[in-house]
Amino acid sequence: MLRNALRKDLLLNARHLWGILPWFLWVAYAMSEPDAGRITAVGAAFIGSLMAATIGAREDKLRTTATLASLPVSRRTLVEARYVVAYAVGVATYAVVVAMAALLPWSVQRVGELVQTRTLLLTLALASGAIAALLPVVIRFGILGVVVFLGVFQMLGVGLMVAFEFFGLRSSVGVFSAIERGIAALHRGLDQPVVIVQTAVVVGLAVWSSYRLSAFLAERREL
Amino acid sequence: MNSDYALELRGVRKSYPGFTLKDVCFTLPRGVIGGLIGPNGSGKTTIIKLIMNLVRREAGEIRVFGLDNRAAEVEVKSRIGFVYDVPGYWDDQSLDSQRRALGAFYPRWSDETFLRLAREFSLPLDKKYKALSHGAKTTFALAMALSHEADLLIMDEPTAGLDLIVRRELLRRLSVLLQDEGKSVLFSTHITSDLERVADVITFIRAGEVVFSLGRDELLDGWAIVRGDDRVIRELDPRLVKGSRCRPFGVEALVSDGVSARRSVGSRAVVDKVTLDDVMVLMTAEDRHAA
Repeated sequence: MLRNALRKDLLLNARHLWGILPWFLWVAYAMSEPDAGRITAVGAAFIGSLMAATIGAREDKLRTTATLASLPVSRRTLVEARYVVAYAVGVATYAVVVAMAALLPWSVQRVGELVQTRTLLLTLALASGAIAALLPVVIRFGILGVVVFLGVFQMLGVGLMVAFEFFGLRSSVGVFSAIERGIAALHRGLDQPVVIVQTAVVVGLAVWSSYRLSAFLAERREL
Repeated sequence: MNSDYALELRGVRKSYPGFTLKDVCFTLPRGVIGGLIGPNGSGKTTIIKLIMNLVRREAGEIRVFGLDNRAAEVEVKSRIGFVYDVPGYWDDQSLDSQRRALGAFYPRWSDETFLRLAREFSLPLDKKYKALSHGAKTTFALAMALSHEADLLIMDEPTAGLDLIVRRELLRRLSVLLQDEGKSVLFSTHITSDLERVADVITFIRAGEVVFSLGRDELLDGWAIVRGDDRVIRELDPRLVKGSRCRPFGVEALVSDGVSARRSVGSRAVVDKVTLDDVMVLMTAEDRHAA
């Protein structure tokens, strides 16, 4: 049944996933920029996963959620498929960026850097974070959930900018650099087995909790 | 519970702000077409959603072929063909893509049946869903529902918005389906003439309560309309009077026993056969009079 649910997601929502194509134009340009390879690949996988995670929002808009719930498949299986598709699209997106780095004539990226274990693990951790945060919201609230989710982040960003511009709170800008430094530190640390295990535990718990929450919400959602 | 029934609802309850479905009980025997009728907002769609487990019941029991619709959800749904009042499919995908993606979920899906129905309904399989007319969208939903050898077909207002010819064709197919294959059907509608044409059992819902669930012949042959002077109508046994309304000539009353009513009023009033329209109007009118 999971296979059918995956097939359905990919077959009927392919058009939604093609929405990621414009991102690849930027990727193609970025391949000529030194040191842009890693961030481009991580970013592409992150965006790809987010895009796939919002399939539920599209289905909600098309009123197909009730059609799906009338099929002989449990809502839990449909939720599982959402997670698997989000990861699958993230992996596929990353693979396309690696292929572009290797094949585009103007690429100055070192492919070896993109397939380093620590870079792959960092990508997995970041994409997992996005999937874990977004999917329960999409599954419970559909398109409205995506709008609210993005709106909250937008408001946080605007709030930080206002704090910096009008109140001179430098610490507000420091938030962004702290995030950047944190990601860089994690990337460096992912060479060490202890950090890998710690990260795997945190990410695993986050995704497992997110999945349990999503299944709980899906089973109780009234359509 | 007796699994000779395609569908059994016992004491089913569901509340929304301002509306409660109260202890709904009715059954649908196997091989029978059942119709759910009632005014708008009476709870027809909620009952269908409860059967399909699209909303959660608060109390009671729903069994499909003897199986609990929640505990055995996957098995129950594999035996049901479902047509929503507003069918929801993927707008930008062709009918054929949707057939391939959704048919795979049903263990008894038959491409052959689907393609035959698509031909008979003149469905353009290569066209996108959004390019279809409302009637074609409904017939596509019906073709999907009929292509996996469902034992029970549940349809919420399937004929709403369809023109007369498509409606008649749809109803003819339902009858054929039953005669040929012994399927059971439950459908809600506010077009009572559709039910008179095909339904064997009629369940009337008003304000979240089942008022009656009777065989069509029992209802249409047994019940009657009495038209006459107010004083004559008052002489009828109150237990028989199910609804009444004032008319220019006097009073019109719906009675559940035409023979007794005829005996009671004699030639002082006119006793006519009842139609489902009369039942709908008069039973809803009673509500208004009571208020």
